[in-house]
Amino acid sequence: MTRPPDFDQVVGPDVDPREEARLRNVHEMLVVAGPPPELSPEMAAGPTLAMTLHRRPARVRHRVALLAAALALVGAAFVAGYISGNGGGDGLSSGKVINLVGTKAAPGALASLRVEPVDAAGNWPMKLAVTGLAKLPAKGYYTVYLMRGGKLFAPCGTFVSAGKTHDASVWLNAPYKLKPHDTWVVTRQMPGHHEAGTIVLRPNV
Amino acid sequence: MRKDGEDMELALDTPARLRPVPQPLRPSAEDDPATFDASSDTELLLRVADRDREAFELLYHRYVRPVFGLALRRLRDRQRAEDAVQETFTAIWRSAHSYRPERGAAAPWLYTVARNAIVDRQRARVEPPSEVPDSPSAELGPAERAEASFVSWRVHRALEELPEKEREVLELAYWSELSQSEVAEYLHIPLGTVKTRTRSALARLADLLEGELA
Repeated sequence: MTRPPDFDQVVGPDVDPREEARLRNVHEMLVVAGPPPELSPEMAAGPTLAMTLHRRPARVRHRVALLAAALALVGAAFVAGYISGNGGGDGLSSGKVINLVGTKAAPGALASLRVEPVDAAGNWPMKLAVTGLAKLPAKGYYTVYLMRGGKLFAPCGTFVSAGKTHDASVWLNAPYKLKPHDTWVVTRQMPGHHEAGTIVLRPNV
Repeated sequence: MRKDGEDMELALDTPARLRPVPQPLRPSAEDDPATFDASSDTELLLRVADRDREAFELLYHRYVRPVFGLALRRLRDRQRAEDAVQETFTAIWRSAHSYRPERGAAAPWLYTVARNAIVDRQRARVEPPSEVPDSPSAELGPAERAEASFVSWRVHRALEELPEKEREVLELAYWSELSQSEVAEYLHIPLGTVKTRTRSALARLADLLEGELA
């Protein structure tokens, strides 16, 4: 839990007693409420079509589930064949460079992430070069997240941005078994926030 | 394994001009024409009952953060909380016709729908048997937890209505542990402006919380 600010410092002197009581009540509610959560990009985008569709009867759902499972099996077989046919086994081509662009939260920011060949232990070293990210308050930092299936999957390292140019160039690591459609985003972690923060850089597609 | 420095040079476009201040964390409803609508929650809910998808989308943007916050508090698992959000809005779409404005404001009704969806998800999980603790827990009891959840719900919903500049100073002061001077330094604005915005934000929140969100 973060340290709440001092009410008197926040509001200052010369406040009407009735107004002060009203503001103090809101102050206490803010302390109890805690920070609002960060939304995933999918949640922030808006409601899904599924929310406004009526649920199908159970029997139909069962058939749809069976069909989906069959399609998934066919898809998995195809992907497995593709990977083995290409002799990779990595699931992701090394040497891949992913260009990231700033979101609304960081317009003007740019980055390039180069994925190096996997080592014998299963680590994927990566080099991130970034420019245009704002310096964050003390204890704030940026996190590089592996993104899988449209969701934040796992962190791959953190860095800060400072100096006149606001450039950074850092080594990171993805100690995970990467998949063909994996990609990365950068989030902004404000002090005291432990959930994944606002996405500031995402793949340029 | 790693290549030499030359190989590590990564192609970047010409660096864009840096902004002097950090960007807003997120736009407020009022700043974003795509999501701003002066309709009250009650009006939107009645339109949703008539299968108005635009009203549903507006209501979603107003409430997705409070619903997600409530779900995270209860379920303590991001994936399950996201599922609960999905189920909550599905339930709102399905049962909006049962909402009666004469019985109360929309916010408490929406809270009840969200809480029910989250409780359903909680029940769906088989909890492993827990060991008996040696000492009493310092955590809040059920009644206090419910009270805190409802407070969070209302506060997070009300925050969505604040202008971005006001919400930003509140978030930095309350949840980033920055003093007023540090907020001023961080935002590159005078300390007096920070104080004015903060007091204005608190007053606006008080108005909102005393209004329909009560």
